[in-house]
Amino acid sequence: MTTLLYKEIRLAAHPTSIVFIFLGCLVLVPAYPYSVIFMFGCLAPYITFLNARETNDAWYTAILPVTKRESVLGKCLLIASFQLFQLLFSIPFAFLRSALNIENNPVGLDATLAWYGFGLTVYAVFDFVFISSFYKSGYKAGKAFLLASIPMVLLILMVEVMPHIPALTWLDSYQPKHLLMQLPILAAGFICYAALLLFAYRISVKRFNKVDL
Amino acid sequence: MEIVLHVQSLCKHYPGFTLENVSFALAPKHIMGLIGKNGAGKSTTLKSILNMVSPESGSVEIFQKDFIQHEKECKQRIGVVFGGIDFYPLKKLSAITAVTQKFYANWDQTQYQKYIKRFALDESKKFKELSNGMKVKYLLALALSHHAELLILDEPTSGLDPVSRDELLHMFRQIVKNENCSILFSTHITSDLDKCADDITYIQNGRVLKSADKDTFLRSFEHLKTPEDTGPLTLEEIMLRTERSEWDDDAAV
Repeated sequence: MTTLLYKEIRLAAHPTSIVFIFLGCLVLVPAYPYSVIFMFGCLAPYITFLNARETNDAWYTAILPVTKRESVLGKCLLIASFQLFQLLFSIPFAFLRSALNIENNPVGLDATLAWYGFGLTVYAVFDFVFISSFYKSGYKAGKAFLLASIPMVLLILMVEVMPHIPALTWLDSYQPKHLLMQLPILAAGFICYAALLLFAYRISVKRFNKVDL
Repeated sequence: MEIVLHVQSLCKHYPGFTLENVSFALAPKHIMGLIGKNGAGKSTTLKSILNMVSPESGSVEIFQKDFIQHEKECKQRIGVVFGGIDFYPLKKLSAITAVTQKFYANWDQTQYQKYIKRFALDESKKFKELSNGMKVKYLLALALSHHAELLILDEPTSGLDPVSRDELLHMFRQIVKNENCSILFSTHITSDLDKCADDITYIQNGRVLKSADKDTFLRSFEHLKTPEDTGPLTLEEIMLRTERSEWDDDAAV
């Protein structure tokens, strides 16, 4: 598994995708729609899939001692690494923001536990649609991205609107009692992410096995 | 004699093209040329062997093992070179090698360095900076550095100048002689095979017209000889006359 991931990072990953995963640091910006960070986390796999297609990555992988199942696994591992690293990377900046006493983000949701939970949900839905659509053909990355962008944009809008609804302001709070209330959202995000990624992987393997390179 | 590669009744349908009951066998330390005009089904056959396309029926055995069932194990023992395809054009050879070597249990770094030196390859160069001949040589170096026992080469000599082609063909003979290796390579440049092939498989319109050792193969096409032909026909003449007779048949219809 580590060899597959190493191959993906060294040969398939586009440098821009690597830059995008470091944009978790944007949670330090005083006023910014932080959920846009999720969009970068979705663009990273798209750009990498485009790059992989143009560099004949699937062909090269096919001549290595790797099955089609593992070829899909490599890409799923890469996507998960991108997105989870991005969220992890943002955590110190969220703490730094608090240490610097920067005021609550007036634009939308702050980087609270709920924000991370929603982020994982956005990634779960995007990845499920994107990966499973892509492996229908093995090369139509643009179409897969367009399809996956629809739920991604709608979810991001929803996340950014929520803190402006008076009954949901607790989602935007760092107070311990509110963080405790947000914990189930984070847990649900993790479960949703793991389940949908696994589901996407299984569907994609079935589809890619039928694809002729 | 243990067969290295045994292809049996491979069938694959595409709109407008059908690969039909392709069967042949490759013996150890032999070079087999897969010939046929463009679009005859040579690449589809090679891709079906490697499970890159899914054949509708038929089987492939490599080292007496079903390839689908033992894909990873078989791939550890084979090397594949696709001529004319740019892999990771912006990556340095050192990066491609660093990744590739991790996948092979039998990777031999000393052997790799030997081939890099012999082929005068500069590892700090990007893949796209190599000439077509150098690209094939680099991919061959990768294939040979894990002691592949079977090389599957798709049009490795296409687009190369006569000198580079001759050098590669000489190398194929040396590999078969010095290493425990067999080679299956597709080409439409039949003169390449006059120099180095032991066996020939001729594919026409998705079907195997003839698969045999070179002498038997040449003898089986003696009916194509004309009174003007004094010596044996070359592979090129066989292919040209076979394909031409097919055009004549089509014209007659």
